[in-house]
Amino acid sequence: MEQVLSVKQLQKSFKDTQVLHDITFDVHKGEIMAVLGPNGAGKSTTIRNIMGIMYPDGGEVVFHNHHGDTIPRHKIGYLPEERGLYKNVKVMDILLYFAELKDYPLDRAKERALDYLKRFDLEGKENVSVEELSKGMGQKVQFIGSIIHEPELLILDEPFSGLDPVSQDVFKREIKKLADNGTAILLSSHQMNLVEEMCDRLFLMNKGQQVIYGAMKDVKAEYANFKCTIYGDNDVATLEAIQDVTRVEQDGSTSVLYLDRDVTLPGWLSNIPGDLDVQEIFVDRISLHEIFVDVALGRSIAAKEGVLDAE
Amino acid sequence: MRNSFKVGKWELKRNLKSKSFLISLFLTPLIFIFFATVPSLLMSDDEGSDATTVYVNDSIGAYSLVESVVNQQDFLNWNVTETDDSLEDVRGTLQEEGNAAFVALNEATLENGVVNYATGSDIGGNFPAQIQALEQPIKQLQIQQADLTEEQANLVATPVQFQMADQPSSSDVTSNSPAGFAEDPFKNGIPAMFGGIVLFSIVITGMMIFQSASQEKKEKVAEIILSSVTPAELMQGKIIGYFGLGLFQVTVWMVFIIPLSVYLVDDIPIIDYLLTPQLLLFVLIAILGYLLFASLFVGLGATLEDANSSSNFQGMVMMLPFLPVVLIGPVLSDPTGLAAQVGTYIPFTSPAILMMRLAIIDEWPWMDIIIGLAILIVSIWVCMKLAGKIFKIGILIYGKNATPQEILKWLRA
Repeated sequence: MEQVLSVKQLQKSFKDTQVLHDITFDVHKGEIMAVLGPNGAGKSTTIRNIMGIMYPDGGEVVFHNHHGDTIPRHKIGYLPEERGLYKNVKVMDILLYFAELKDYPLDRAKERALDYLKRFDLEGKENVSVEELSKGMGQKVQFIGSIIHEPELLILDEPFSGLDPVSQDVFKREIKKLADNGTAILLSSHQMNLVEEMCDRLFLMNKGQQVIYGAMKDVKAEYANFKCTIYGDNDVATLEAIQDVTRVEQDGSTSVLYLDRDVTLPGWLSNIPGDLDVQEIFVDRISLHEIFVDVALGRSIAAKEGVLDAE
Repeated sequence: MRNSFKVGKWELKRNLKSKSFLISLFLTPLIFIFFATVPSLLMSDDEGSDATTVYVNDSIGAYSLVESVVNQQDFLNWNVTETDDSLEDVRGTLQEEGNAAFVALNEATLENGVVNYATGSDIGGNFPAQIQALEQPIKQLQIQQADLTEEQANLVATPVQFQMADQPSSSDVTSNSPAGFAEDPFKNGIPAMFGGIVLFSIVITGMMIFQSASQEKKEKVAEIILSSVTPAELMQGKIIGYFGLGLFQVTVWMVFIIPLSVYLVDDIPIIDYLLTPQLLLFVLIAILGYLLFASLFVGLGATLEDANSSSNFQGMVMMLPFLPVVLIGPVLSDPTGLAAQVGTYIPFTSPAILMMRLAIIDEWPWMDIIIGLAILIVSIWVCMKLAGKIFKIGILIYGKNATPQEILKWLRA
């Protein structure tokens, strides 16, 4: 796949604290790549270094074949985490200003703006002053502003924060559509469920370091083992004694059994001891959310599961 | 640079469309006009309503002189009427009319210089001062009567002048104005006033730069903009934009002020005085002054998210454009003195002080002008560099105002 952006061994320190350690990843044409991590992991710093708003202490950012300062920034769209709009201007004016800054022809920008306003359910708002928009509407306008110039690479820092579920779906739909049309998309988020549904690849980081990097399906296959949730009064020791159970979490009458990676479900299920108190039982995979929480809390899933390190 | 102009154009357009700017744009000259015209309207109303009727009993042929004096002097709001009645005859009339007076000009007046007059009960308190205006025509008659030669008459009529010994050039200057001051106050004064208005206007819009930079932080647009332009371009763009805005403002004001002042002051050819080479220098000084304060304010604005909670430090910087006010007194009393010179050399006061000095001095101190401008230009360059450093870091810091220590650290970086 065509590589649009590659970040190589990015290093950055604030004062004496190093906040980025050798961050390396690529973004390909037409894919959605997610940078994940808890607050303070270094996601926004990574993105700001890519955008040239900050300068890395080491490593480099390559966009197509352009390095560092020569990167044509008008081919990149950016929605920062800290975002806002000028208050006392009209929606269309500010969108056209963003397009102008990106050297995009204004008549086309106007057409696109109207089209996107319609898609985001903001039809007829183009001459409304920004201060009259609700927060969600404002975010939609900011999103339109970041894609008005048909960027080849779109960088979205926490695009879903502060959105209601309906708007989240609209954003998801539009982001997917952009990727389908060939835009390379790099987004950061800490809302795992959203990312899990739409991303092709992910880069999970914590404390400025890479934790997991790979295609979503590989990551899931590798990290997201099966887990079995049982409602019923059972003894932890009994549960732990079951074959292929690596860890048990118990909260009242709810027990979660984490299973070995190479477990085969039908065999394992038939091996459950007959004397267990089972009111309800279901089996699913560890979600990205749980991997994320584990990372954030510093409990490395890999270490806990014990298996992956060896491979 | 192209990006700077895009930003500048945006800032200009954004303000031109904002209601508050438009209101203040038109309100300011209206306030000017209000203060320029209303007091004089009130005054003339006052006088017009009760013009003093002055009965003149003239037996020495001075009436026509008196009449012409009254017509010439605007402050004499008199209705002069010649009368043959004696004081005793008009006493009743004076009491009746109240605001009326009787003046007797006769042989006794010429001989011993005493003018007898009587007033009604309702006469203005400054009548005794007003009547002094008659001294000059009476004196003239006295001199004519004294049978002097023309030379003697001139000598007597000329007031005594005091001149400083070491001013050789002033011997052929007939003016009695203090040495050092311009002979024609309008020659430099009118271009200076124009320059002053330009400076005032663009320093005001310069302060809007401060708001704009701090707003950029508050509304969190900075990062979006900075994904397209560099911080330096954004800063330059703001400076350019508000410069344009200031000029636009001046133009609009001038559209009001020039015709009005030409209308109000009809004995001075304002336009002729305005369009002189001096104007160019004054406008240059104004522009340099703007650039200095604009760079100062744009840097400062980037350190503040909320102007209300600014520290004393930032408040002090905001006061810098008003520093010249302190020096107005000393400079006006001695435009070539030490205070004036020092004011010329300090970049924050030099634009205003230079203008003030150049407006009132006849012989321009070119050495001072050149040194002052050189210091100003160097300071602008330094301020722009420093503001650039502060702006680059400050504009991306959200949620707090920068402390002076932090600003110092950025400058060292």
